[in-house]
Amino acid sequence: MEKETIVIGLGNPLMADEGIGVVLIEQMETLAREGKIPGADRIQLYDGGTGGINLLHVLAGRRKAVLIDCARMGTEPGTIRRFTPDQVQTVKQLAHLSLHEVDILKVLDISRQLGECPEEVVFFGIEPLEIRQQMSLSALLETQIPCFLQTILREISLPADSS
Amino acid sequence: MSANIQINVHHVTRLEGHGNIVVNIRNGTIEKCQWQVPEAPRFFEAMVRGRRWDDIQTIVSRICGICSITHSLASTKAVEDALGLQVSEQTDMLRILMHYSEQLQSHTLHVGYLVAPDLFGEKSVVPLVGKAPDAVKKIIKAHRIANQWSDLLAGRTTHPVTLTPGGMTKIPTAQELKDLQKTLKEAVPDLVAICEVVHSVANRMPAFERPTEYISLRQDNPPTYTFYHGDIVSSDGYGPVHIRDWESVANEYVSPQSTAKWCRWHRDSYAVGALARFNNNGHLLSPLGKKVADMFGLKKGCCNPFMNNVAQLAEAAHVVETSIELIDKLLTKGLKDEKVKVTPRAGRGSGCVEAPRGILFHTYEFNKKGECIAANICIPTNQNHANIQKDFEKFVPEYMHLGEEGLRHGMEMLVRSYDPCISCSTHMLNVTFVK
Repeated sequence: MEKETIVIGLGNPLMADEGIGVVLIEQMETLAREGKIPGADRIQLYDGGTGGINLLHVLAGRRKAVLIDCARMGTEPGTIRRFTPDQVQTVKQLAHLSLHEVDILKVLDISRQLGECPEEVVFFGIEPLEIRQQMSLSALLETQIPCFLQTILREISLPADSS
Repeated sequence: MSANIQINVHHVTRLEGHGNIVVNIRNGTIEKCQWQVPEAPRFFEAMVRGRRWDDIQTIVSRICGICSITHSLASTKAVEDALGLQVSEQTDMLRILMHYSEQLQSHTLHVGYLVAPDLFGEKSVVPLVGKAPDAVKKIIKAHRIANQWSDLLAGRTTHPVTLTPGGMTKIPTAQELKDLQKTLKEAVPDLVAICEVVHSVANRMPAFERPTEYISLRQDNPPTYTFYHGDIVSSDGYGPVHIRDWESVANEYVSPQSTAKWCRWHRDSYAVGALARFNNNGHLLSPLGKKVADMFGLKKGCCNPFMNNVAQLAEAAHVVETSIELIDKLLTKGLKDEKVKVTPRAGRGSGCVEAPRGILFHTYEFNKKGECIAANICIPTNQNHANIQKDFEKFVPEYMHLGEEGLRHGMEMLVRSYDPCISCSTHMLNVTFVK
């Protein structure tokens, strides 16, 4: 039986702020191991990396999915913004030349058509400062991590207890 | 004949990734016909310098979200070669089983999500769900099985966590392997059904041919349709070349129309991938793999790049059938917890495996503390770039009578048939708010 909520962090930690989703999942895994996330037993934390279409399968059978990803939203770097899929329009243009082009919003389309999409899907987009080959976040995003965690944990109805 | 055609397909989906198709035809004369890959150079090779021998796999597995098991295996083998480590027969079998999962995962994804929409006349898999729901559901089911298979052997679907130089950090239980075997046996009828559906529309693949040199691994002892062991061979009869000498095969060079390096061996270009493996090793496919190849009339010596997708289907059947046998062998021998002890040393080593989209090379050099001092990685798509260009140069004059739309679509299908890895290192969202 799948856990009712899945929190998916997306991105590549080798590409600086692009990896913010994965970094936040790692942080939440640590908090969960330390027993600092009450109710963690009904939540699956998932490092989605850049697996793209593979997410179709981990979304199936959930009640709620929370996706955390680096996002160009036209906001200030370091901004975290909550939105639902119907509130945004992708400006990615896929040439469909490669499996490696992925737009998570299109993965959700397929999931919906198959009738297996979670009834509630929430995104947290985080505006990057630096996208380049670097195995650490920019200092700006690094210092914002506690704030990002608090926002995301509030969403999944859990107090952020990282004291 | 179409007098004037202008095609400009710019693949600008992500920060660093591009693969552009550019064609200019004026008054029936081809003035320009290019496969451009202005992809920003990636610095993964620089990133691993200074990192310890046991950090390499974790880092390079992030090069690609689709081929992360393959990059992990190539790098782990290279580190083992450099440090002089031998692995047990059990580790070898478990890794091959893990690698097969990625072949099924990637091939079903490619044929189902990218190629099938072309054959059914749809722009993507999204509308195909409505047009051919049963076929899409079978494809998704096969893909889901492959992912669960990866989860079991690699510890997760992508970016494996069970590999370590010298062995494995976690192995499945006998019961888990029995369950996987049962699932794979049950998956066979669906796989055959997927092949039959693709076969029903396969006549939409262009009958385009261009004599090509095909490069892949070949394993002679024992003779195996290999993705993992062996030496490098060419369909032109060259080789075997030891994998440590891969640079003498790839002969990487810089092309003005690409920032990715291009490759050539005995001709102006060569191709890697499922069709290359089939052309060099097709007689060693499992019975079901051969049956699938026969269904489509795929024969060794085929030089129609579109048939790469058929070779992928044959391989999907092969890896499932072969894995069922491999699990029997593992269970018969009994699973053992094996301890790995590694002493770092200075050395240089290479690892080579077949990614779903073709042969992949990794080389690393370490100092006596086991810190990486040099790295060289050559991915399959870079090896195919020059070949795509050469295909374009023959394809455009033969198919320009289709007009701009038909020619553009044909060229896009041609690129897709190679199952290219174009810029897979970033996938960020790019959105505007509508509410």
